[in-house]
Amino acid sequence: MSEESVFSRKDPWFTASVGLTAAIAVVAAIVGFVWLPYAQPGLRPSSLWDAICGAAGVPRARSNAAPVSADFVTSKTIVTSGMFDHPSASSIGHGATLALQCAACHGADGAGKADAPGLAGQYTGALYKELKDFKDGARSSSVMAPLAAVLSDSDMRDLAAYYAYLPRMNEAEVGTKRAAPHIVRYGSPLHNIPACGSCHDGLMAGAPWLKGQPSVYLEAQLAAFANGGRHNDIDEQMRNVARRMTAAEIDEAAHYYGTQK
Amino acid sequence: MAAPGIQEESEVVTARAERRWATVAIAVVVALAAVAGYAGIYHGALPQARVETADPTTLHLAGEFAEGNLGSALEPDGSVTVRAVGQEYSFTPQCMVVPTDALVTFRATSADVVHGFLIEGTNINTMLVPGYISQLSARFTTAGEHLMPCQEFCGAGHQGMWAKVKVVDRATFMDMSAKARRLSCVE
Amino acid sequence: MLSSKRLILAHFWLAFAVFGLAILLGAWQMWVRSPFSGWISDPEWYYRSVTEHGTVMGYVFPTLVAMGFGYAISEAALKRPLIGAGWAWIGFGLVLVGAVMATVPVALGRASVLYTFYPPLIGSAYYYLGVVLVVVGSWIWVALMSINLWAWKRDHPGEPVPLAMFANVAGSLLWGWTAVGAALELILQILPVALGLRSTIDAGLARVFFSWTLHAIVYFWLMPSYIAFYTIFPRAIGGKLFSDTMARISFVLFLVVAMPIGVHHLFADPEVGSGFKFLHSVFTAAVSVPTLLTVFTICASAEIAGRLRGGRGVFGWIAALPWQNPLMLAVAFSFVMLGFGGAGGLINMSYQLNSSIHNTQWVTGHFHLIFAGAIVIMYFVIAYDLWPHLTGRAFADFGLMRVQLWLWFVGMIVVTFPWHYVGILGMPRRMAYYDYADPQLASEGLPVALSALGGLVLVASAALFLFILASNQRGSRTAPDEYRFSVAVHPPTSVPVALNGFALWLALMVGLTIINYGPPIVQLWAFDGVAVPAVYVGVER
Repeated sequence: MSEESVFSRKDPWFTASVGLTAAIAVVAAIVGFVWLPYAQPGLRPSSLWDAICGAAGVPRARSNAAPVSADFVTSKTIVTSGMFDHPSASSIGHGATLALQCAACHGADGAGKADAPGLAGQYTGALYKELKDFKDGARSSSVMAPLAAVLSDSDMRDLAAYYAYLPRMNEAEVGTKRAAPHIVRYGSPLHNIPACGSCHDGLMAGAPWLKGQPSVYLEAQLAAFANGGRHNDIDEQMRNVARRMTAAEIDEAAHYYGTQK
Repeated sequence: MAAPGIQEESEVVTARAERRWATVAIAVVVALAAVAGYAGIYHGALPQARVETADPTTLHLAGEFAEGNLGSALEPDGSVTVRAVGQEYSFTPQCMVVPTDALVTFRATSADVVHGFLIEGTNINTMLVPGYISQLSARFTTAGEHLMPCQEFCGAGHQGMWAKVKVVDRATFMDMSAKARRLSCVE
Repeated sequence: MLSSKRLILAHFWLAFAVFGLAILLGAWQMWVRSPFSGWISDPEWYYRSVTEHGTVMGYVFPTLVAMGFGYAISEAALKRPLIGAGWAWIGFGLVLVGAVMATVPVALGRASVLYTFYPPLIGSAYYYLGVVLVVVGSWIWVALMSINLWAWKRDHPGEPVPLAMFANVAGSLLWGWTAVGAALELILQILPVALGLRSTIDAGLARVFFSWTLHAIVYFWLMPSYIAFYTIFPRAIGGKLFSDTMARISFVLFLVVAMPIGVHHLFADPEVGSGFKFLHSVFTAAVSVPTLLTVFTICASAEIAGRLRGGRGVFGWIAALPWQNPLMLAVAFSFVMLGFGGAGGLINMSYQLNSSIHNTQWVTGHFHLIFAGAIVIMYFVIAYDLWPHLTGRAFADFGLMRVQLWLWFVGMIVVTFPWHYVGILGMPRRMAYYDYADPQLASEGLPVALSALGGLVLVASAALFLFILASNQRGSRTAPDEYRFSVAVHPPTSVPVALNGFALWLALMVGLTIINYGPPIVQLWAFDGVAVPAVYVGVER
């Protein structure tokens, strides 16, 4: 080809475009990385390098002095999705052995009784979290605390794996397939109440499956979240919801999900 | 083809018209950028200067975003820091209380997915990205209530994620601060 | 004479077919979240629809239009059959397979992550793989455009590249580079998690990668329309293009500046430093220049046509323009929408003004006005203009076309103007329902209802568009003349090397990318400890 290269200082297009681009970039960089950080109220860069790095977004982990702690023990459990996938057979088997002591209150089939929730078919993450919270004292129960205290972390995982492995209660036992009440189906958006299923249909790690629990138990838990008596929900997730529910809504939700046991 | 003289003349006219327009266009753009820059500096409306990280899975264990430390805190210099966590599907604290006539700095992060942080009726508007801490400063001038929806899709319950911000006059806020170190207007 | 008619028609038909389906979803979405409808009982359906609508309208539909139009331009402007037609068919096939692979999981509720992906929300791996296939198919087109131009230049040394092909290749190169951002996000970050190889992801870095693609993709969408402004419109209305040089300058400006400005989509994000936000907003201001130049050049070209038709006076030439011509109508509508949409864009481009409307319904209103409005209305007339050359059949009359275009324009104004307004009121985006009964939100009800009604008008327009194209099958056979592009008032006999090739502009584009995106990406990549657990959607655990 007989074309001259465009990358030559003799080509006015080259010099103009590169020059202009570079000029804009340099001016913008000086303004953005030097002038603006110093002009920003409340920000006091310790040095020019600090100002530039800060504005460049060099990530840093900051430790905060003297945070205030809550008056009570909060949950120390970490649950993320995928944490409890694929339990081993031996884990489930060991859990079955441990579960013999749970049957007295929670039923031989893990179906639950009036004052003890059903465990069969519950999500592994939810089961593990409650056990650990009982052990740590984040959730208070004079019955469960001493029982959980003797469990090791792997014991808790095994128990959770075992109960999760059991079949869930039949829909028929839950009562008729009623239409979900408004509060359950839609929540109450401006009261910061999403539909219950948006977390409790297996969409949030640690949020328990609700269907088939004793209604009395569900109502008691919602009331406890509402008045702060129960506070092992991470970052007040359930307290935020329960506080804004009216007594009637709590009643409706508990009776929709629950059984009359 | 037009006579060469007319051809050249029309080329000159064309080029002049284009140059004029290009000048106008560039001037408009530069003016807009300058106004934006000026407004940013004069009103202190600049994006957060630093990138800070946090681990969303351990926020609740201890540290700046553990439960007890969330809410509005009066700083020694008279400014207020409001700390919040966003998660599926609420902000904690659910109702944030802030004073008028003070520098209010919001510091928030997400415990799980990307959420949005928008105080309606203001230009306090930012994203909460898990792993990073968002920080925004503002001054409130009038008492009142503002809705605070999550403005980013965060999952199936996104449409239920509405919090509230209550602006109270400075004196009321000071009274409240005397009684508790971390404030909120949660009922 | 176009030889790859079936190839081009295949692209257009698939594009408009998926467009027709996706627009139904869009209208349904508007209806379902408006006061007209009761609250949807399973909001998951809404988010599924939003993902589907966005994926099709953003990744499949405009890509196919650009590809089909690009092949047509290559043959018509270079006056030679397409080199690599076999590869082009493979590219088409990849887009088709990818589109199916992506849209099926979404329809099944396995990938309601929205077309912007939003990690750490993670959906089915097939969704992301489908998008990757669509992009790969389009990259075949990118390569073919450059190959065809290179072959022509080899056979026509020193000659000015025909403007239509110059712009076409510029657009393809822009897309090729722009797509890299989302490709990196998908391949390096999202797919490993979706496939179960990893369980954590850096959401901030993913957003930075995505922003690389997110802004410039709209310029990729815009290219066919701007090419039509410059190279079809003046010819169609019996005028001449005011300036060939200015046209080339506009397109190379897009090539350089459209892409390294994506961080203005991250103004409100905590993972990018303020210095880079400012840097990107300065270059964003620069990208409005080629549009302003375009508006001038095209209006001037229209004035030439108007005066050639006998128009007199400062504004009299406007009345003299051929308003019966659908192309005239479309360009006028497009410019009106471009004016408003562009003004909205100027608001979005600065951090300060953006803070008022970030992630409110203003944003959705804005991009529907500018993309679905100003740009897509030109897609319609590009199709109308090319169709007789592709099918060998004439359109009976232009009346229905004018009705279709009017419906699109009016519908778009009715949809988007109230949409901008509720955004100013603070209405957040992407919620499946809103409590309009509550006094705090009551004022948003009426504008949203108006928008929803406008959506129905758009559906009617889209249906009419498809009907017009389909009815062409029964039109009378015609042997149209060779497809011609517009001629400049001063046709270039020689063009500076810089405006006849892309090396300089590509170097600047890549250079700016390194400056504007390099440090943020490297910083986030190198920093340990911001990978957060994935949150899987659509799979019950």
